[in-house]
Amino acid sequence: MQKKPAKQPHRAAPQKGTPQQKQKSSVGTFQLLIAKIPVLAIFFALAWLWAGWYYGSVFHVSREYSFWSSDARLMTFILSQPYGILRYIGRAMLQLYQYPWIGGLLMALMLTAGSWLTGYCMRLKGSWQAIQYVPALLYVAIVTWLGLDIFFEARTGFIFGIPFAALVVLCIWAIIICSFKPRKRENGKKGIQLAVIVVVLAAIIGFDQWKRPYVRVICQLLDMEYRQDWVGIQKLARANSTMSNRPMACSYAISLVQTDQIAERMYDIRLDYDSLYIHGIDWFHNNASVLYVPEGNYYGGFLESAQHACMEQMVMTGPTIRLLKLQTKCALMRGEWELAEKYLAVLHRVPFEGAFIKKYEPMVRRNDLIEADREMALIRLTEPIHDSFENQYQQPLFMGYNLLLVEGRSKQALINSLCVCLYTKLMPQFVERLEPLVGTTPPSIIMDGIMLAENKNAGLMQHFTGLNYRQPQLQAFLQATQQYMSDRPGYAYELFPKYKGYYPYYYFFGNLKATKKGYTSLSSSSSGVN
Amino acid sequence: MPSQFIEANAEADIYPDYKDVVVPPNIAALNFIVHDSTATAYVAQLKGKEQELLAGASEDGVIRMDTTEWRALLTASKGNEVSVDVYAKRPDGWVHFKPYKFSVAEEPIDAFVSYRLIEPGYELYRQLGIYQRNLTTFDEVPIYENNRQYNDGENHCVNCHNYRWGDTGSMLFHVRSNHGGTIIVQDGKAHKIQLKDSTILTSGVYPSWHPTENLVAFSTNKTGQAFHLFYPEKIEVMDERSDLLLYDVSKNEVSHIIRTHDDLETFPCWAPDGKTLYYCTSYIKPLLEPSLPDSTVTQQLLIKFDSVRYNLMSIPFEPKTRSFGKPKMEVNAVAENKSISVPRVSPDGRFVLYTKGDYGQFHIWHKSSDLWVKDLQTDSCYALTEANSPDVDSFHSWSSNSRWFVFSSRRMDHNYTRLFVAYFDKQGKAHKPFVIPQEDPEWNILLLKSYNVPELSRNAVSISMQDLHRCIYETEGENATYKPNPTAIVNLDGMTGASIKRN
Repeated sequence: MQKKPAKQPHRAAPQKGTPQQKQKSSVGTFQLLIAKIPVLAIFFALAWLWAGWYYGSVFHVSREYSFWSSDARLMTFILSQPYGILRYIGRAMLQLYQYPWIGGLLMALMLTAGSWLTGYCMRLKGSWQAIQYVPALLYVAIVTWLGLDIFFEARTGFIFGIPFAALVVLCIWAIIICSFKPRKRENGKKGIQLAVIVVVLAAIIGFDQWKRPYVRVICQLLDMEYRQDWVGIQKLARANSTMSNRPMACSYAISLVQTDQIAERMYDIRLDYDSLYIHGIDWFHNNASVLYVPEGNYYGGFLESAQHACMEQMVMTGPTIRLLKLQTKCALMRGEWELAEKYLAVLHRVPFEGAFIKKYEPMVRRNDLIEADREMALIRLTEPIHDSFENQYQQPLFMGYNLLLVEGRSKQALINSLCVCLYTKLMPQFVERLEPLVGTTPPSIIMDGIMLAENKNAGLMQHFTGLNYRQPQLQAFLQATQQYMSDRPGYAYELFPKYKGYYPYYYFFGNLKATKKGYTSLSSSSSGVN
Repeated sequence: MPSQFIEANAEADIYPDYKDVVVPPNIAALNFIVHDSTATAYVAQLKGKEQELLAGASEDGVIRMDTTEWRALLTASKGNEVSVDVYAKRPDGWVHFKPYKFSVAEEPIDAFVSYRLIEPGYELYRQLGIYQRNLTTFDEVPIYENNRQYNDGENHCVNCHNYRWGDTGSMLFHVRSNHGGTIIVQDGKAHKIQLKDSTILTSGVYPSWHPTENLVAFSTNKTGQAFHLFYPEKIEVMDERSDLLLYDVSKNEVSHIIRTHDDLETFPCWAPDGKTLYYCTSYIKPLLEPSLPDSTVTQQLLIKFDSVRYNLMSIPFEPKTRSFGKPKMEVNAVAENKSISVPRVSPDGRFVLYTKGDYGQFHIWHKSSDLWVKDLQTDSCYALTEANSPDVDSFHSWSSNSRWFVFSSRRMDHNYTRLFVAYFDKQGKAHKPFVIPQEDPEWNILLLKSYNVPELSRNAVSISMQDLHRCIYETEGENATYKPNPTAIVNLDGMTGASIKRN
């Protein structure tokens, strides 16, 4: 028993000690643990996650909106620009984003190396060492801020070009330091470094989710469009149904046309079109039509207009992989074999495009293969029957033409036309085109359109079957929304979740000029198709 | 040279097609690609008169010939044929294809050709330029390029470059949009002018230098374009109105040659003696609804785009008095439901080379367009069958010895125009043309721009791009004085030559 007190001092050893000592001890242990944290490795892992997974689709689409070939003649349009070499190198590196995890790996390596070199070159010590991550985090922040602008209209060379240039400068700086004043790198306060990295990255991603949530979604949709993953597009668009922008609406509509659901599911997403942060080559705000008009025309069956739209963009920004591929498909469908071969010859000089070439090169001079391709066969069904000129229609053409369609080559062409009439709420045009469906049970959206048109076209409904069971739903909707009719733009956003997918909701509340997310004012009564 | 080989039953599959063509003795080497699915190496043996040339290729099949040997071969073979033997190394040994031939003419072609490089089929424009290719080598230099970097305040288009009968000492081209005007280059100096007057529709468009006087005939056109939706041709470029102008370079004075309401006059071209001006005209009154306003003319014509047709006309000119005579119908294409554009008189004055198609005047987008000539000695007109293709064969330019002409054609891929050279013999017969040679023949495929408005010239453009840049960017352009020509024709009925009124 007496021995116990004698042992007290031993028990009170610094490792265990009093509460204060214990606290000190645990802090020390924590610091020790912190000191052992491989912050640079964690930064690398986070950067890779960001560049490969979180923003991978954005960079992947950036590659599609870019063009690079080792043949310098094909790259004159970039090499002759200011910072041409840098943009050329940047575009070359961007090619790795054909596979986002590999492109992300290169990006993460560059950001990590840049961070390490920044710390080394600036001789950062202690808490200040956290500054070494600032340039890389600033880059991530700028890329996030720019959003769609990073690839829109030929700026893709800067995505890798800028970090590459920074890395080169830092390498030279480090070599100079090594040559003249070599020194050992000191470990700084890793807790602060880690905190800076985590907090800043979280803030950037928070900003992205708050202000640019559409960037990743649009890019994922475009990527799926290029892969013809129609189900994926539908899932993603519906999962983000309250987000509303034209590129998304167009991708979604294309996927529905390709799966024969355009007259069933079009209104599952909001179609009010919030403003996008996107700027043209002139740095003025842009309507982003460049992102969807060529594809919209192609999938709408307007191959010449798709070629025209591609060519206009090639004129403005130079060739891009996306445009060359679309041009190839259009040329194949038009039987312009030598033209298809030309574009394929250029694509042969672009890395990682083997799969596309493997699929489409055999179609040259093989109409049977073109007809056997599901995508192309469906497009063929909606090609115009007669010639006319683009400027006789409202733009975009795939909408304007369908508003005036008088003769189509298939039921799909008629359905597309009816859907465009409903989308634009031009009911007289819609009614005029219903004749071929008389005596049938039309798709649900068209049934809803017929019921709405019944008001001004008494007896219209009796020409179709299957409408009766939907009528109570319309009555209920009209009754329930009566109170909101005085301020339709104001209540549109609020009512969307309840009536998602229901055409009468769109007819009364959707796509009104003043409709904005969160808009509540009663003062604006202006409306019309936007 | 392979010592052992087996004979193939076919000729080699080569690109571009240089078989059975006639080439000028001063042309650059006709490098070509041999296509063979299994071959890993190639040899080409060219045998001319007392000269031989050997060239090899690896798996890519690109046969590049030594310039010095090529030059020696052509020089020795003037007026004779060169035979080409191609060998391919297949897994089971060398194969010798059936030889093909080409002929070397005695007469050289003008050494330089200038053209615009632009994307085909667009409304917008961005980077473009006028370039000059030395046909005896592979050298291509820019005469003028617009701004490479997008700039709202600087973007401009350049077009319609033209020389005085193959001599670049007198040159002009137009600048549109920012820094707009017509750039005239003479005595090594460039100056900008503005051909504007309330009576002039737009400004000068298609030009033709007078061979002896310091005059230029221009058309002035109100032009629009529309894009087809479902048609083999992609674009229709149409004039709503057009007239002809005469510009006096020395005095900076402009006047009308023909100013009409119901006729579209365009594509002026002087005869080499300077006493006749050829042009095309279309009488559009029957196509227009009289009750509709002028503002609807474009839309009305667009609906009837395939009914707008042009005849070939000429009008006498007296250089001393600068007076015009009575127009004469040269070719009544409308009568045969055809349409003519781009008349170009051969420098020897005997032939008018023009493009004939089913309708319209912008034949560069019309697949029906073919090259035709009118023999001014016999008044006979005929197609240059050997030179033509099923696709577009249009804009053309004569070599100063009248034995060659260069023209643009979409025959290779139906979209991107490439320049072809055809030999035109003394009997007025064109021979099978060939695409202008490239150091890498595949460049004809890879280049994503069209060759536009080829103009042959004997000499190179000497003014520097910097001087042109300075003139374009730093000068506003002097307004030309409008001075009516008393012999100008107004309200001429282009079909009949009736109802001529003098100014």
